[in-house]
Amino acid sequence: MSEPERRGAKPPVALVTGAASGIGAETAAMFRRRGWRTAGIDLRPSDTDLSLRCDVTDAAGIRSAVDEAAGQLGGIDAAVSAAGYYEEGIEVCDITREQWDSMLGVILGGTVNTCAAVLPHMIARQSGAIIAISSELALAGSATDLHYVAAKGAVLGLVKSLAAELAATPIRLNIVAPGPTDTPLLAADSLWRKADYLATLPLGRLVRPGEVAATVYYLATEGVMYCGEVLSPNAGAVI
Amino acid sequence: MAGGAQDRPVALVTGAAQGLGHATALRLAADGFAVAVNDISDDGRLADLAARTGGLAVAGDIADPGAVTAMTAEVVARLGGIAVLVANAAAMEMGPFLTQNRAIWWRQVEVNLSGHFRLVQAVVPHMRAAGGGRIVLIASGWGVIGHPNATAYAASKAGLIALAKGLGRELGPQGILTNAIAPAYIDTEQLRVDAADAGITLEEMRERYRELVPTGQLASTGDIAAAVAFLAGQGGSAFVGQVLQPSGGVTRTRA
Repeated sequence: MSEPERRGAKPPVALVTGAASGIGAETAAMFRRRGWRTAGIDLRPSDTDLSLRCDVTDAAGIRSAVDEAAGQLGGIDAAVSAAGYYEEGIEVCDITREQWDSMLGVILGGTVNTCAAVLPHMIARQSGAIIAISSELALAGSATDLHYVAAKGAVLGLVKSLAAELAATPIRLNIVAPGPTDTPLLAADSLWRKADYLATLPLGRLVRPGEVAATVYYLATEGVMYCGEVLSPNAGAVI
Repeated sequence: MAGGAQDRPVALVTGAAQGLGHATALRLAADGFAVAVNDISDDGRLADLAARTGGLAVAGDIADPGAVTAMTAEVVARLGGIAVLVANAAAMEMGPFLTQNRAIWWRQVEVNLSGHFRLVQAVVPHMRAAGGGRIVLIASGWGVIGHPNATAYAASKAGLIALAKGLGRELGPQGILTNAIAPAYIDTEQLRVDAADAGITLEEMRERYRELVPTGQLASTGDIAAAVAFLAGQGGSAFVGQVLQPSGGVTRTRA
């Protein structure tokens, strides 16, 4: 039995996009272990209480999925925008229009769609936390992946501004910007897995998905004074 | 706990007689630490707190190098080590830059920055011997964005932010993770000092500060203690050289 159930309260609800793998899956799992009910949105099935298959670029689909989650689980206390993908090793002139549009559509558009679908529920209840996953690359820039960096940077501007716009309400929006994290998003031959790169990090290793999940969970549960902040579990990649 | 901390990791919190330090000591104790508590003197509050945190009261002036060395040695001898250092003690006196007494100006830097620098120097060998540790430096939103009549305080706190970044890089490879927290307006005793400086009542001061915070809230000491607990705990293991800013939107990641 979960902590909240032992106390006789209705368990809080977390909705996570990109919940089928990597940071999203680890985050959903952490909420679940701590007694929350979870809804997962992903192209693939997720190990959550309510697995909803939907593309985050589909605004109407996300709206329906979020409404269904709120209806079935009883509101949404925390929403985590983690859906995304990564491409590296492409120089600026070689990034195609399709690659650019697709990356912005998923990472920025997915976060826009998720916030737009979740916020009416949170505003109606005057409570809730939204946490978007960005990247340390958006803080310090990077090379040969600038469509990803631009999209993750745009998420910073979006969420900081939404946080300011909603500051007078009890709804809190913040960002977690992990360092390179050991997930399937990083290919086996990724530059970020190479020993000479890892040696430049103060911690000398990739970030573990559970460390990102713990940061998200902290923001969702004890983060009332964070408003438009960026928390960086990044192994020292950006200081 | 004169017999040592047994199997609990040991934390040392400076400036713990009241306010944020007091709340932090209690939170860390609740999270399983044996907490040694420091303040400049003990009027009984420190000993009471130490009894509640299963730790030790070590009174002493952070700006006094001899006191810093003695306090560190006593904590290590009595509790068996120091896994977490929370540098929270602060001297604070507001005044215009050109006319504030120079001794008062420098005293703030001596306590807040230089004193804690020497405390880090004293504590780090014990963390190294244990294979790692966590250092949490309590900075301030004023160290991020500045404040009128607070140049010494802001300089000392900005120095702590830079110290956290440098120590993060230098000690991170040894498993000693240093980070800073820069809160903005906390509802503590410090507000009385600010109110006196402004010549208004405490409640007027609270209201004036609330107006400076986008969320319209002053932080509770528990909110900031939770940030310390996060950085000191299992979930904070990928944070190094970072500045958490639970400021209600005042600073929005400018440090």
